[in-house]
Formats: sequence, C-alpha cells, structure tokens
Amino acid sequence: MLSIRPSSYIYSSRRYLSTPSTHTISPNHSIYLSRSTNPYFNLTFEDWLFRHSPTEKPLLLIYRDEPCVVIGRNQNPWKEINFLALRRAGNPFIRRRSGGGTVYHDLGNTNFSIHLPRTSFDRHATAQIVLRAVRSLGIDAHINERNDICIGKDKMSTIFLPLMACCFYVSGSAYKIVNNRAYHHGTMLISTRLDALGDLLRSNKESMITKGVASVRSPVCNLQQFSPTISHEAFSDAVVRAFQEEYNIDQEPYIAQEDEGATSIEYIREGMAELPSWDWAYGQTPEFTYGIKKSFGWGDMTVEIKSKHGIILSCSFSHDGAGSSSVDREILELSKALEGKRYGFVDNAAIDARAARGRDGDIWEWLKTAMES
Amino acid sequence: MFSVLRQTSRSRLSLPRRAAVPAGIQSIPIFRTLITKRFTADHETVSYDDKTGLGTITITEYAQSSLGDVVFVELPALETKVEQGDQIGAVESVKAASDIYAPVSGIVKEVNEKLNDQPGLLNKSPEEDGWLCKIQLSNPAEVEDLMTAKAYRDIQDS
Repeated sequence: MLSIRPSSYIYSSRRYLSTPSTHTISPNHSIYLSRSTNPYFNLTFEDWLFRHSPTEKPLLLIYRDEPCVVIGRNQNPWKEINFLALRRAGNPFIRRRSGGGTVYHDLGNTNFSIHLPRTSFDRHATAQIVLRAVRSLGIDAHINERNDICIGKDKMSTIFLPLMACCFYVSGSAYKIVNNRAYHHGTMLISTRLDALGDLLRSNKESMITKGVASVRSPVCNLQQFSPTISHEAFSDAVVRAFQEEYNIDQEPYIAQEDEGATSIEYIREGMAELPSWDWAYGQTPEFTYGIKKSFGWGDMTVEIKSKHGIILSCSFSHDGAGSSSVDREILELSKALEGKRYGFVDNAAIDARAARGRDGDIWEWLKTAMES
Repeated sequence: MFSVLRQTSRSRLSLPRRAAVPAGIQSIPIFRTLITKRFTADHETVSYDDKTGLGTITITEYAQSSLGDVVFVELPALETKVEQGDQIGAVESVKAASDIYAPVSGIVKEVNEKLNDQPGLLNKSPEEDGWLCKIQLSNPAEVEDLMTAKAYRDIQDS
C-alpha cells in the first residue's frame, strides 16, 4: 500500500493557517448543524473538525446525506454492496474513515457525531446521550451490548424465541480514535427508505471470502413507525439539548454550509477529492478471494479470483471440459491479461486478444459480470 | 533481539505505571547494538537499531488499551517509501478505526505478517510481538526528535 495521503495533506492544517481567507469556518464551536446534504462534504467536514477542533472540548455535529451507501474504513465494497442495485439506483458508495459496518444514508436518516478527548471517551456514555434524546421524543428505546440503539421487546424474548429478532435497530454506530481525540458517530433512522436499504446492502456473494471487517446484519426500523411526528429537525433539537445538558454547554448550534468558507480550506478540498478516488474507495479494500462456478455447453468451469487493494492478484481456472487444449490456452491468456488489473474495472479493450476472451467471449463475459455485480 | 524490552514489558503488568515504561535508550551488550526507543503523540513507538538501520514500529500499550479488541490490521506494502507523518496503515477494533502514521521517514522493509491472521497480538503484546513494520530510516536524526519514554508518560499524566 502506498501512503494513503500525500504528506501535504497530513500537514495541511499548517497551510490552512497561512492561507489568507476572510470568512473561513472556525473549528472552535461546540455544536455544528450542517445544511449540506453532500456526503463527500459532510464526511470530510467531520474529519476536518475531528483533527482541528480543540482537543479538550466536546463537539457535536449533525448532518444528513443524499442517498448513498457508506462502508466502514476496512471493508470490502464488493462483499457489502449489491453493485447492480447500486448502479440501478444511481447512488454512490463511500468508504468512510471510521470503523464498523455498512449503512445506507438518505434524507430520512440523520447522522450525529460526538467528538471527545481520547482520555474521556466512553462508547456507552455517548450512546446514552443519543438514547436520552430519543426518549425525550417519547420513544422507549434501549442500548444493546454493541452500544447501538434499539427499540422493541426486551431481552427476555431472546431466551424463548432465539431465532426471532428481539428488537429493531434504529441506529448503528462507528468510532474513530486518532492521537488524543475520538469520535462516536452514528445513524438515526427516522424515515429512511428501508426497501432501498435492503436492496443495496444484500450482495449475496457467499463464496467471496474476505479479510477486513464484516458487517453484522441487523433488522432495522424507522423512528416514525413509533411516532409519526418525529422529523430530522425534532431529532436534531433533541440531540443538541441532550448534548448541552451532558457537558453543560450553553452555546447554540453553528450552521455549517458547503460554501467557500469551508471549501476554501485545503484539508477539506483534498478530503472531498480523496473520498471518491479509486485509491481510497477501492484501493483500500482488504485481501479477498472470490470463487465462482458456471456450466458452459462444453463443460463446467470454476474460477478463483484473488485480489488485494483492489488489484487482481491471480485468477485460477479449472474445468472438466473434454478436448481442452484450446480452452486451456484461452484461460491461460485470460488469467495473464487480468493479473494486475483493477478488480471490477477491466474493460473489453484490456482483454483485446480474441482468444483471451475464450469461446466467443463466454468466459470473459461471465467473469466481467461477476466482478461488476 | 528484544529480550531486554520484553522483560521490561512483562514487569509492567505488575508494577505501577510510572516505574514500568522502559527507558529511552537501552544497550544490549551481547549484540553490541544500541536500540533507541522513542514515542509519538499518535501513540506509536519506534525502536531504532543503529546496527541494522531499521526502526521497528509499534502502537503503545496505552493505544491498545483504549482501542479495545483489535480485529483487523492494515499494513503497508514492502518497499513503500514513506515520509514522517504519512498514513501507512490502519487498525480496527470493534467498530473503531485508528490510523497508523509513519513516525520516521524511510522505506518499509518488513511487515509483521502474523497480524493478518492474529490481529489480537496487538492487544496481547503491542510493543513487541504485535510490531507493525520495520522501516529502513532515511534520516535517523528524526528518532532523536521524538519523545522519550518519560516525555510520553508526562503528556499522558498531564
């Protein structure tokens, strides 16, 4: 892996200080409400606050995003996401900088982000703040052992009905810990399109064996199913109040916009450019193998594709076809052509030799579809 | 190679923290090498061996304790040229990601492949068996500018 960020990015805070700009946004407020719904901006703004706000002060950021799938820092997007459904929906996916599993964002889903000094960071305490906010809206929620907020029957039911969901998640959490700062951020499902969420996050690639971090699939529901009047604004206000009470803060929220005051900051510009880059979104994928099988007219074929950091390391074919010398030549050429290419991004032009495409292109078409789904 | 460090760390479990952190410079007479161990504000250590020119990078005991159970470690590729401060990898504990930064400039010569299958080594032995990578230092003077064990302990106590 090459260094993820050019060193200028790491040290961009210094440049920011020396860049003359009249209305750049300050990282010194305690509470930020973002009016942007651009996930690239919001996730980058969050990262900038994380690295530039005063280390000792608690900070709260609230935002929501246009529809997108957000995977954890160390996840495999091909394992987590149904790319056919993603393309059909026209949504992007984004690799965030915190750990944990894959979530779906849309405007019916509000994100909270609580930043604290590393020394006083406590996942349970921050979850309690959000829990108090939800309860203040009249919803009887609780926190489970993974510090996620759930609604539904208590744990007793798991003893008698172990195969049934004991509760529904309305929120999923992830954390980032760097230097002397840590944050807990999470989603709150208010009126999300749960059908879209289900389609996009069902990849069905059981024979893809991946390193890194797997998502824990959980049944989810929206807060509006319990209280139809709950809105983004009501939940945001409730979290702000719970945060102010917890840390004795009387500052009012600062309204952040995706305007020049923010985007003139080099760290933010570069972070927004990095998130959609291949190097970050795909190139940070942990090692995986994908074994698939198909019956062709002339016999059955299996292939195991090995990939690391988004690059195809090898393709091993095996088949039971008779009179196989031409097939063997084709698959040898095809596997040679694929080695070193970006997984899921190999176009037909790269497999230029007709022979390499194999049996009128059948084998190649099959592999290409498998890698792009 | 790290026998002295290992003993020191073991004793740390039973001694009060103030007395337990190893000294900044340790001499291992058998090998006639000088190993300089330094700490960073990102809660990493580098142990520089002046004989081989290699610096072994680890996270600190404090880092592992605040991260919790490590489930995945992303290591840099061999022969990667890194500048001090570059992000060279990532550590994930349950749902929490942390970044690994290069505490010194140089070229990555070894990575601890054991961590691919045993990320928990980072919890069991963060400053020894759970080492992350070894960097051939391009500017050994950078080591001297990092924190000594005492300086690192002082910022934690403050």
